[in-house]
Amino acid sequence: MKPARFEYHVVRKVDEALALLAEHGDEAKVLAGGQSLVPLLNFGLAAPAHLVDLNRIEDLAYVRRQEGVLHVGAMTRQATLEASGVVARHWPLLIAALKLVAHPQIRNRGTVGGSLAHADPAAELPVAGAALDARFHVRSTRGARTLTWSELFVTHLTTALEPDELLVDIEVPPLPPGTGWAFAEFSRRHGDFGLGGAAALVTADGDVCREVRIALLGAGATPVRATEAERSLAGGRVDERSAAKAGRLAVEGIRPPGDLHGSAEYRRDLIEAMVRRALLDAAARVRR
Amino acid sequence: MSASAIGQTVETERYSGRAMPRVEDRRLLTGSGAYAADLDLDGQLHMSVVRSDVAHGTIRAIDVSAARQREGVVAVYTAADVPDVRIPVRLLPTEAAKGALQPVLARERVRYVGEPVAVVIATDAYTAEDGARDVRVDVDPLPPVVDPNVATTDDAPVLHAAMGTNCLEAFEVSQGGDVDAIFERAHVVVEERFHVNRHGAVPMEPRGLLARHEPDRPLLTVWGVAKVKHHNRRILAELLSLPLEEIRFVELDVGGGFGARGEFYPEDFLVPWAAMQVGRPVKWVEDRRENLVALNQSREQDWTLEVAADAEGRLLAIRASGLFNQGAYVRTHGAALFPRLMINHLPGPYRWEAFAVRTAPVLTNKTPSGTYRGPGQYEPTFVRERALDMVARELRLDPVELRRRNLVTTEDYPYDSGLTDLQTGLPVLYEDGDFPETLDRLLDHTGYADLRADVNARQAAGELVGLGVAVFVEMGTPGIFEQARVVAEADGTFTVHVGIASIGQGIETVLSQIAADELQVPIEQVRMSYRDTDVIPEGQGAFSSRGTVYGGHAVVGAVHDLKEQALAAAADAGGAFEVPADMAYVRGAVCWEDESGPRSVTLAELGAEGSYRYQPEGGSHTAMGANLGVVSLDPDTGRVQLLRYAVAYELGRAINPLTVRGQIRGGVAQGVAGALFEEFAYSPEGQPLSTSFMDYMMPTAAELPDVDVIIVELGERTSDSPLAGAKGAGEGGIVGTAPTVANAVADALGAGADRALTRLPITPERVHRLCRARERAA
Repeated sequence: MKPARFEYHVVRKVDEALALLAEHGDEAKVLAGGQSLVPLLNFGLAAPAHLVDLNRIEDLAYVRRQEGVLHVGAMTRQATLEASGVVARHWPLLIAALKLVAHPQIRNRGTVGGSLAHADPAAELPVAGAALDARFHVRSTRGARTLTWSELFVTHLTTALEPDELLVDIEVPPLPPGTGWAFAEFSRRHGDFGLGGAAALVTADGDVCREVRIALLGAGATPVRATEAERSLAGGRVDERSAAKAGRLAVEGIRPPGDLHGSAEYRRDLIEAMVRRALLDAAARVRR
Repeated sequence: MSASAIGQTVETERYSGRAMPRVEDRRLLTGSGAYAADLDLDGQLHMSVVRSDVAHGTIRAIDVSAARQREGVVAVYTAADVPDVRIPVRLLPTEAAKGALQPVLARERVRYVGEPVAVVIATDAYTAEDGARDVRVDVDPLPPVVDPNVATTDDAPVLHAAMGTNCLEAFEVSQGGDVDAIFERAHVVVEERFHVNRHGAVPMEPRGLLARHEPDRPLLTVWGVAKVKHHNRRILAELLSLPLEEIRFVELDVGGGFGARGEFYPEDFLVPWAAMQVGRPVKWVEDRRENLVALNQSREQDWTLEVAADAEGRLLAIRASGLFNQGAYVRTHGAALFPRLMINHLPGPYRWEAFAVRTAPVLTNKTPSGTYRGPGQYEPTFVRERALDMVARELRLDPVELRRRNLVTTEDYPYDSGLTDLQTGLPVLYEDGDFPETLDRLLDHTGYADLRADVNARQAAGELVGLGVAVFVEMGTPGIFEQARVVAEADGTFTVHVGIASIGQGIETVLSQIAADELQVPIEQVRMSYRDTDVIPEGQGAFSSRGTVYGGHAVVGAVHDLKEQALAAAADAGGAFEVPADMAYVRGAVCWEDESGPRSVTLAELGAEGSYRYQPEGGSHTAMGANLGVVSLDPDTGRVQLLRYAVAYELGRAINPLTVRGQIRGGVAQGVAGALFEEFAYSPEGQPLSTSFMDYMMPTAAELPDVDVIIVELGERTSDSPLAGAKGAGEGGIVGTAPTVANAVADALGAGADRALTRLPITPERVHRLCRARERAA
């Protein structure tokens, strides 16, 4: 479990990183927290010729709320975001998601941008990003562009980022007042990737839902929004029956992967149950 | 004041029997330990192993040219370069096993994914691994066979052509009356098939070896050995055709053994052999990915079991057949140990009129199997105790009551179990401890009656909670002999050399306690030495829960000898031919009285030493225990949560209750892991699927229950020895765990699922399905 030989580049500015990416293209990989990339290197599953280490780019580590909008620098450690009071007050779903990301040691190193750019559909941050309608600011020497979550996540472990592009900033719009939140997931061991999960945001006046957002974890090749289930609850109330129905709707047509740890059928059942639980928890939080 | 009077005044509390923190812990917890990977020698090279990625096939060619040309690669070896040797069997060798022994590098055929095919020696570990990736192994695939039930059929691919079959020697025991006739007249017969999952030791520290050859001395030194270093030194001497005294084995700190670490594997030959070839030290540190395909795996068994009982809940007979999936080769444990252990642990602590058990190991294209904590005990105990709950259900009897009615009692002692001791060939007699008493201690401690009533009430209210109980016998503590030498050092300390190995079980502490008591000195004055075969020429090692008992007896004997030698030396120095009657050993000194008053001479001044070889006549001890678990199930996810877990374990006498508790808790953790989480899964093509900790589900503390340990000490004090009545404690925690968990899950799910809970591990998906089926049935 030793990586193959690679050239290691330390950069201190985003522009230096972009220049190296422009030069080496798909021969290069960026190293953020290393919590996925380093195991991939050690297992010999990735063997990039160049590794561009972003860890010394101070400009990419920040958590800011500007005009109600959250901006998180891509190199912000997950633990930093988890400890942010601003996030806890305004985007508590992110905290709930982060608490399910592996173990504290991993969150101390792992970065927000790294997890999103890795695009594992069983990871929590991409699912939270989908639920929160996050936007992703991307740069290259060719310029800058902004992607929505559905544009960013293309398929399993694949984003729309070109080899020369770098995710620099994650933007999360404000949540309407009266929004409850929950992230429910099941894993066989504490800290494992979830076998199935759901993030829910319920915005309601009293008991009547104005808007419901449901994003599914482990449902397919990317995070998935359960739009049918969301619609089924709009204008109604979240209770055991409607939440169970939303769960059923949410898993209609999804194709979770099946493997050693659970068949597709089992994962579908899990996601259905997690949607129900997340909705009930989120609705309970609106009332609180 | 006479010497004996002095002795009486200094009588202090003994260390033995005290719950003492481990003397090893300061070193290990402060990071001062040194494990195999921590040791480096000047000029050392690193070895990387090229392993087969095909489960079964004929090797057409191995192209090592690219690897040899890589800068930093010093040598590449394949089967063509190494001696054509097979790793011999250490335990219960049989003729049948000889055809399936493993070569140190695959010859002509590969038989499992992970089998060593070549080694690359390079200037650093990175280059060695790059070199290993350069090696091209061209294999013609053969059809693989992974299921022992398929491997035993006539048209199955045969792994070892010369054997003509995948079946190794079967063992059969038929005891008591006419089993078939008993089944004819039985009121209840439960017949079921059971499967125990392939899982294994997976110690936290993978293996690691460092070897240096000094041809001028001549001496070949190997660091990083574990468990049975004296045996392995002999094996290496034999395979290399070297005199034993030219090989020195040195143990370092060992991060867990559990039966698997420390056996003689291909790498145990390849590292020292390569060091001899290249004339420089060679180091190899196993990584986790290798560890999960190369270290002995264990446990995989398929059983067919029938149990007969009468209407009053009296158990009558067992008819059973068990297959053990041996994997691709027979390793050091041989091909007789498992089938015989399986037979010996199937009947358990019950009075049967008769039983007929047949067991056989079968070769398949999986990683070879070996022992893992509670080998051949965990599996049949699961099978029997799970089946007994089915019998209890048929009879509408409380499972505890069924067991109580059938346990062997002290009135039956000495009870001839009808089984044969593996070491002595003598009948296994149940003659100490007390099964009903051990069960009662468990039930009293846990408040069984109230607990059962509470679980029943919660079940009636619709909760998915369940309670399970299992009782077991564990035949442990064998091991021929052990020896010890105690040296009085000039600085007033005593060095205790012993042939036991330290695999993390706390043996330094326990043997120090015993030595300090016998020497009547503070424990700080005792130093344990067990690491170096140059200092300790003989020993048996650490297995089968034998360390405390065998090591302890050897230490006691050596201290007695030391005292005798010291008294004789003191008497001799005084010109006496015999030791005077008033001369006595007291606290590290020989004391006596003469005209001038009380006199003494310390053992340090005398420079005395003593030694002893403990080699008892008898065979294994039968330790016993009972487990209780309470679970709750989440129907949505199938998660099994252990709400309560308790073990009562009768071990005769505890030398250190603290380390005993640690052993029991660790055993429960591993046992629950096997029942609910861990499995070495394989694809039908023989590809291992559990090759990282993402896929091999070793649980963490978060998934495991708190464990109540009830130490039951019924050992009779038949002598002054601190070890009188003591039995081993290394495996008692694990043996009864799987049926306890499975019975609790079955209890939670009710009658409909009882017969479905016959396979381990009990995964959340299976529990979820059973919960759904139960909802549909309701």
